[in-house]
Amino acid sequence: MKNPLAALFHGPMTPGVLGVFGHLDDTTRAVKDLKADGREDFTVFSPMPRHELEDAIDRPPSSVRMYTLIGGIAGCSVGAWVTLYMSYDWPIQVGGKPIGSIPPYVVIMFEMTVLFGALNTLLGVALNALRAARREGTIPYDPRFSNDKFGVFVPCRPDQAGTTEAFLKQHGAEEVRRA
Amino acid sequence: MVDGMNRRRFLKVLGVTGGGAAVVAGCGIGPEPTEKLIPYLVQSEDEVPGVPTWYASTCRECPAGCGILVKTREGRAIKIEGNPASPINAGRLCARGQASLQGLYHPDRITDPMARDAQGHLVKITWDDALGRLSAKVKDARGKGIVFLTGLEASSFGDLVDEWMKQVGGRHVTYEAFAFEALREGNRLAFGSAAVPSYDFAAARYILSFGADFMETWLSPVGFQGGFSKAHGFQAGRDAAMAKFVAVSPRMSLEGMNADEWIAAIPGTEGLLALAMAQVILSGHLGAAPGDAGRLTELLSRHTPAAVADATGVDAKTIERLAKEFAASKGGLAVAGGMAAQYPNGAEIVAAVNILNYVAGSVGKTVKFGGDLAAGGAGSFRDLTALLADLAGGKVALLVTHGANPGYSVAGFAAAAAKAYRVAFATVLDETAGAADLVLPDLHPLEQWGDSRPRAGVVALQQPAMQPVQSNARGAGDVIAVLAGKPGTFKDYVQGKWKAPKGQTWADAVQHGGAFGDAPVTTAHLGPDAAKIFPGKPAAPALAGDKGDVSLIVFPHYALYDGRGADKPWLQELPHPVSKIMWQSWVEVHPDTAKTWNVDNGDFLLLTTSFGSARVAAWVTPSVRPGVLAMPTGQGHVAGGRYAKDRDVNAFDLLPGAANGYGGRTFTVRASVDTTRDHRYLATLEGDPREGGESIVELLTLARATGLHAGEHAFAEEPLPEYADSAAAGWAAAQHDKASLGNYATQPTRWAMAIDLSKCTGCSACVTACYAENNIATVGEELVQRRRFLPWMRIERYFNQEEGRPVRAVTTPMLCQQCGNAPCEPVCPVFAAYHTPDGLNGQVYNRCVGTRYCANNCPYKVRFFNWFNYAERGGEHEAWPTPLDWQLNPDVTVREKGVMEKCTFCVQRIRSAEHQARIEDRSLKDGDIVPACAQGCPSEAIVFGDLNDPHSRVHALSEDPRGYHVLAGLNTKPGITYLARVVAGAEV
Amino acid sequence: MAQTTAPPTSGVRVTYDYVTRVIHRTLGDPGKGYFALLGVAVGLLTIGIICLLFLLRYGLGLAGYSHPVYWAVFITCFVFWVGIAHSGTLISAILFLFRSAWRTAVYRVAEAMTVFAVMTAGLFPLIHIGRQWYFYWLVPYPNERGLWPNFKSPLIWDEFAIGTYFTVSTCFLIMGLIPDIAAVRDLATGWRKKLYAITSLGWRGTNEQWRHYSRGYLYLAALATPLVLSVHSVVSWDFAMAQVPAWHETIFAPYFVAGAIYSGVAMVISLLIPIRRLFHLEEVVTIRHFENLAKLCLLTGMIVGFAYTTEYFIAWYGGPTPEHKAFYYRAFGPFWWAGWTMNVCNWFLPWILWFKKVRTNLTALFVISIFVNIGMWFERFTLIAIHLAGEPFEPFVKAGYNPTWADWGIMAGSFGWFFMWFLLFVKNFPAVSISEVKEVLPPPVRGRHA
Repeated sequence: MKNPLAALFHGPMTPGVLGVFGHLDDTTRAVKDLKADGREDFTVFSPMPRHELEDAIDRPPSSVRMYTLIGGIAGCSVGAWVTLYMSYDWPIQVGGKPIGSIPPYVVIMFEMTVLFGALNTLLGVALNALRAARREGTIPYDPRFSNDKFGVFVPCRPDQAGTTEAFLKQHGAEEVRRA
Repeated sequence: MVDGMNRRRFLKVLGVTGGGAAVVAGCGIGPEPTEKLIPYLVQSEDEVPGVPTWYASTCRECPAGCGILVKTREGRAIKIEGNPASPINAGRLCARGQASLQGLYHPDRITDPMARDAQGHLVKITWDDALGRLSAKVKDARGKGIVFLTGLEASSFGDLVDEWMKQVGGRHVTYEAFAFEALREGNRLAFGSAAVPSYDFAAARYILSFGADFMETWLSPVGFQGGFSKAHGFQAGRDAAMAKFVAVSPRMSLEGMNADEWIAAIPGTEGLLALAMAQVILSGHLGAAPGDAGRLTELLSRHTPAAVADATGVDAKTIERLAKEFAASKGGLAVAGGMAAQYPNGAEIVAAVNILNYVAGSVGKTVKFGGDLAAGGAGSFRDLTALLADLAGGKVALLVTHGANPGYSVAGFAAAAAKAYRVAFATVLDETAGAADLVLPDLHPLEQWGDSRPRAGVVALQQPAMQPVQSNARGAGDVIAVLAGKPGTFKDYVQGKWKAPKGQTWADAVQHGGAFGDAPVTTAHLGPDAAKIFPGKPAAPALAGDKGDVSLIVFPHYALYDGRGADKPWLQELPHPVSKIMWQSWVEVHPDTAKTWNVDNGDFLLLTTSFGSARVAAWVTPSVRPGVLAMPTGQGHVAGGRYAKDRDVNAFDLLPGAANGYGGRTFTVRASVDTTRDHRYLATLEGDPREGGESIVELLTLARATGLHAGEHAFAEEPLPEYADSAAAGWAAAQHDKASLGNYATQPTRWAMAIDLSKCTGCSACVTACYAENNIATVGEELVQRRRFLPWMRIERYFNQEEGRPVRAVTTPMLCQQCGNAPCEPVCPVFAAYHTPDGLNGQVYNRCVGTRYCANNCPYKVRFFNWFNYAERGGEHEAWPTPLDWQLNPDVTVREKGVMEKCTFCVQRIRSAEHQARIEDRSLKDGDIVPACAQGCPSEAIVFGDLNDPHSRVHALSEDPRGYHVLAGLNTKPGITYLARVVAGAEV
Repeated sequence: MAQTTAPPTSGVRVTYDYVTRVIHRTLGDPGKGYFALLGVAVGLLTIGIICLLFLLRYGLGLAGYSHPVYWAVFITCFVFWVGIAHSGTLISAILFLFRSAWRTAVYRVAEAMTVFAVMTAGLFPLIHIGRQWYFYWLVPYPNERGLWPNFKSPLIWDEFAIGTYFTVSTCFLIMGLIPDIAAVRDLATGWRKKLYAITSLGWRGTNEQWRHYSRGYLYLAALATPLVLSVHSVVSWDFAMAQVPAWHETIFAPYFVAGAIYSGVAMVISLLIPIRRLFHLEEVVTIRHFENLAKLCLLTGMIVGFAYTTEYFIAWYGGPTPEHKAFYYRAFGPFWWAGWTMNVCNWFLPWILWFKKVRTNLTALFVISIFVNIGMWFERFTLIAIHLAGEPFEPFVKAGYNPTWADWGIMAGSFGWFFMWFLLFVKNFPAVSISEVKEVLPPPVRGRHA
């Protein structure tokens, strides 16, 4: 673990239990019951987004939308500033048009809005993903999660691992693993 | 302008100290241009770098003898303009005169004397050797026949040649391909004097031209055109607002295009028409006919309008009407020449027209004997045919040629001359010089002394404007002076010949371009043979030759003339005023004729006459009489440098080699026509044949025009409703406020132009002026065919297409309109096209990236793109091979590949005038600034000035009732106001 | 989200696992045919590059331009490729917002096509300007000349629109790819494993990742939708802002957008049909997808046809105006063949798509889509080159126009360039979205507790 980045992302593995599910409804039920126990720290793996899971996990909507909004507003104002400032910085008359004529500049403003909005959205996703990665880098993963299996990882102290295993098993986990 | 001696001393100084590699080379110091930049060590008091020096001289491109001013920069001639002091051309100059610069800087000029070696190739020799050979030849040719063949030389040079020939017992023959034999013979018939009178177009109230192309090549085109537009141009308030102009000729020439009425009579019957008109006038006592006119009664009685109607193809009513109008004008002028003077009966036609003038009482008023033109002295074609006979018969041992090129214009010449020892003074190896045994590099007229006597009372002096471009060339005058044992140089000879009129010294004569006087007008009366013309029954003459049944007219090309213009790219790429064709030869075919032959534009026709044949591309046009073909001279050189050589066909090959009745050459022949399958794109300026009958030119009838009062507008755009009007005005005001910032804030000047279409003849002198002033590249035939030309100023020619109406051609100059709301500006992404504070559409060449959006958005299509690098050394499309590039105007950028260029109203002239005003601490006066096109315009149709100055001429003209803007509906607010052409006639 | 719509695939055998594997299989070793195609593409590209080098050395004069035809084949190709680029984002973004499930199987191909088409289109403005080496003067950067570009010029709008469109559609493509790359990563071996490990950016499909990802994707789609509509509007304003008759029209924006989507969808069809065959995706990409694409084609085709009709009608109804001359010239001028090619291919041909038989017949669809592409190219050619040649304002400069080898060579090069990228893409990245296809499959349910 020389690499400081690696040290950052691959911290000591989180102790806990990973359950691999073959069916969506099992997974959903497991998640629901975990929530019923008041647990929030579990992680769910799925090959695709499913609204059943989202509802079950029931987290607040992502903060990415704020990034989009801010980016959009910033882009619009940059567009307006660029066009108007540059027009008056060295005023040159063309075709009898006003030096700073708004209608044509609206086009630029619009394009900048979209551009900045989009880039900022990506930024938002990236930052959030990074924050999540801080923790998710330390929990086990199974290649099948990108194919056709669902997974639920429940962090717990080694002495509680047994009960957690049992919990996952009776919720239909096809296999459980300790980490 | 400084006097000659100072100038020469100065040039020596400049030559030694140099003003940069260019000048050093220009002054012929050292074999190769050095790359060192040498500052002035001794600043000569009359030369400031960057400030042009002007030299008065005389144009030698044709015998007219126009006065010119040569603009030189740092020792280089860069532009030629007319000399305002000269009575011949009053400060104007035609395309050919302006293009003589390219003769001076021609890349194929002869550098050294050359003689034939054993293999018969021309090889360079020294001057001593050359002169040795020449004098030896002269010695042993004495008595065996020595002939000196020159062009028309009414000058000291001619005198010198005469004297020398007298010494050595030779003879001096002058030859002009378009001499004026018919004119002189016709005058002799009518008035008993072969002199060529001067024609006062300006004083004329009614102008009748029988074939005379007096605005193109006839006698003194620049002066005549100036006078013509003074008389014919519409000017409200004159007793007759304009002189009506009627052109009679089977082919519509530049004159026909300007005519209020074009009468396409059957070829050769112009004389009958004139006689019939004279008959009407005389029998009706309509004109102030002199007493002895009675002698003509018998002749005229045989030529009543009714009698000639069939022969001429013009109905009697028209003839009578014209005759009445002509007489009623009390100041009519009828001229015969050009085509009409080149028929087998040309002399009689001229005589007939003289009679018309005579009975109308015009002789002495508009036709002035006394101030006779030099053309009277030209040798006739018969002289040349005689010379040919002598040559063929071995009666000539030594033939010296200078300024004449019979090798091109007379088919049999080369063969006949082969027997003699041929010596040629020449600047480029044309057909005659190329075949010579000894070639002596002559100086260009702009490099040597000389003079010309174009008209009785006028002595036009010619002085060198710069050091010789070819350092090893010598002036023919100097050489002959030596051979003839004259003391001193040819300059001394000229000065010796020159008789000072009182109060004028040689110095200021040179400074002003010569001594300009007037000869007293003499009276003329009918000659003994006046009534003897047209003895027979009125009929069209038999044309030369017996092949075929189509009459073919060969006419002098406006720019290439008798072929001497063909080596100058400016003239090659000057769209012909009528056909708009460049770099090519063509034959004019009427649409009806074309239909019967199933011929279209660019299809090759095989013309065969009894004298030769030619394969030439057809140009289908309504501007020629059905069943008549017309073909220009000028192309088809087999020598004469890269621009002339091997280009198309030579029309002279179709013409008879024998002189006709009056000693002239017949230019109208019978031809048989075979169509071929071959086709080529015409290298023409017009995109679409005859523009589908559309036009952007506005016309007014004379009645309508005279009816207009100040403040009226014949072409006001359709009025807006009140509310819309005020809304538009308010918007414009607001717009102006928003756009008014920094330099734009105050009310600045608005450079603008007014072009009077009733004066503009479409002669295209402005186009060449523009090329010369603005370093516009010539692109050559192939690129013209691909429409890659760059004429900032183009003359558009439209034919009125309406069925059942007489064909009328209208022309309009089209150049950048310098719009107030320019469509080209806002679309440029990099501000290369922008609006200058003084109201121009600026074009920053170095800023342009070449998106060409501006050109798309320009409704006038006056922006041109550099598709290739025309300045690239040795490039395929190089426009200025050295030393042609010495002519480039240092005040104007040479544009790079990939940039857009356009007319700038000669912004460099505007700026220099402004600087001058600032130096003199005064504000600009109206007329301080004259763009090249306006300066060159022989009819003064173009006026330039500040539109915002209420006292400027352009402001006044922009208010003229005839004024209109092209495509005004687009709200581009053009800076150019066109004044509608006025047509003297019932309908436009 | 897909419960409302029936699954797109024929169903029975299609499981998550099947989807993953069938799509992973497309990344398998390419056959001779693939390399042959790639060779052709690269060959064309080489031809284009050679022609371009000549053009740069000697000048634009090598192309067929004339006075007044200052824009021609290059700008035609520019508009053509930008048009192609439109269906991609339309299908991925707009249909995404409309929650139409059938897009999932086809949108990846469309998006890739979009990105590469924009890459191609972007080259042409650079090629067509007179001094290509100064193209950067159009960019607003502080320079020693102290001069900024002219934001009133539609060309600058273009620059911004195309730039934005390229950036955003690329982001969109990459973002959509991440989970799928993760999926193939987990099956891949060797260098591909390394490649995907890096490009999947550590994707694991945890609920946190999905939470932000889906949001981000949604907002990108929301931004991309107006962008699609704006980009071709801006391109159309290159012409509509000029006062050339037949360019200066208010209907241009919608007319161009419809035309763009029309040509784009046609191009998707002509690309998808061979891919489906070559990669054996019959189970994933079904006839139903093609029928939907065909319907989209029909719709936009009808809009385009309507626009043509309007143009001709207004030109006729407007009386003897330059407009009138221009359209007469388009229909009956010397270049009538170009005008009628466009009319037949874009205006009349799509009518047969009203028949379900045609919409569900791949051969027919393929042929039609090719013709539509030809037609759309000619639409732009007619609009640009022909209407400039027919100059109605200045009768004296009406002119002919003949494209030269330089025009054709560089155009061929652009096709080579496009297909080279496209071929490389489909062999190295999932050409069909794995996760989104799974989304619309019935999830594996034990059902005991349901």
